[in-house]
Amino acid sequence: MSVKKINAPEFQASIAGGVAVVDFNATWCGPCKMLAPVLEELSAEMEGKASFYAMDVDDNPEIASQYNISSIPYVAVFKDGKLVDEQIGFVPKPMLKSVVERNL
Amino acid sequence: MSERYDIAIIGTGPAGISAAITAKVRNKKVLLIGSASVSDKVAKAHMIQNYPGLPEISGAELAEKLLEHLRVMEIPITDRKVNAVYAMGDFFSLQIDQEFWEASAVILAGGVSFGKPFPGEDENLGRGVSYCATCDAALYRGRSAVVVGYAPKEEDDASFLAEIAEKVYYLPVYKEEPHLSGDNIEIVHGAPVSIEKTENGMKLNMKEGSITADGIFLLRESVAPDKLVPGLALDGNHVKVDRRMAANLPGLFAAGDITGTPYQYIKAAGEGNVAALSAVSYLDSLRKQA
Repeated sequence: MSVKKINAPEFQASIAGGVAVVDFNATWCGPCKMLAPVLEELSAEMEGKASFYAMDVDDNPEIASQYNISSIPYVAVFKDGKLVDEQIGFVPKPMLKSVVERNL
Repeated sequence: MSERYDIAIIGTGPAGISAAITAKVRNKKVLLIGSASVSDKVAKAHMIQNYPGLPEISGAELAEKLLEHLRVMEIPITDRKVNAVYAMGDFFSLQIDQEFWEASAVILAGGVSFGKPFPGEDENLGRGVSYCATCDAALYRGRSAVVVGYAPKEEDDASFLAEIAEKVYYLPVYKEEPHLSGDNIEIVHGAPVSIEKTENGMKLNMKEGSITADGIFLLRESVAPDKLVPGLALDGNHVKVDRRMAANLPGLFAAGDITGTPYQYIKAAGEGNVAALSAVSYLDSLRKQA
């Protein structure tokens, strides 16, 4: 499975069940560009354990402000719809993987 | 930038230059990034008495010899600032302003010119505190920011930010009078003390008064190594390395003052040599895996 790009209307349904990882990003954000391939690899490695989504904060300002996001990349981990963990800024793959795994 | 360097070396003191020389001897494609006039710390040293083969040499003379060595070896210095180094797995991506350059291995040799963070700085990094105006400027459209510049060259970044932000307060941490373009830039003088998050935004406390804005940019000569390389392990303020000068991330090495005391030129040069040779072995192991 790969990272699915979502927008505000699909947001609630996407995070509703199981572990969902949402990468909040923007087209102009350098570290976001670097984190995207890392998340793609993780989504393949963790298939069946967690689902991966990406959301552009410029296109979805209401969600960004709901979660008070002031710096991106911001990776949020949801469990059954509830925010359980977060990671601000780029991190190498093994570290991001452990952030997701500790919430499985 | 599509070409990938074998080894990127950040820093142009004895450690970085020594690493670059050894990497070039081993026929690697080298990117040496740092001040084109050799690290300031070397040039300003008064007298160096324990560098074998160069008795009683002044810092300025050693700097000239180091540059001459680079010229002889045909190693250019790329005089740019690296904002971040991202470990991508089997390569590194170096953010230089808005560009990304790639290298299979990286050697950190930028010395220890980073100071202690202000109280409130680490907690708010990425939450209102930023180290790179060109990277985060777009977040400040229609908003205000304080820019603390540690060298006159940061004025360019402040002017760039002012093209996007509604209001920029520029606080120079140097003696020269700033020259800034833009009606929405206000120059503020003061000594920064701490940073606080308040209901009205980010507050920079100074010895004399305070300024509040939506964000605070701290533009220093160099940032702490673990901020430069996300995921890097430190030992105190220094990069944690083993005897091969390898850091905790595969393909990443460090040399010189950045790895800890003693802060000696010859120790830095020696470590640069070890780091380059270790990076060469790492490149060989990468090739075998492929």
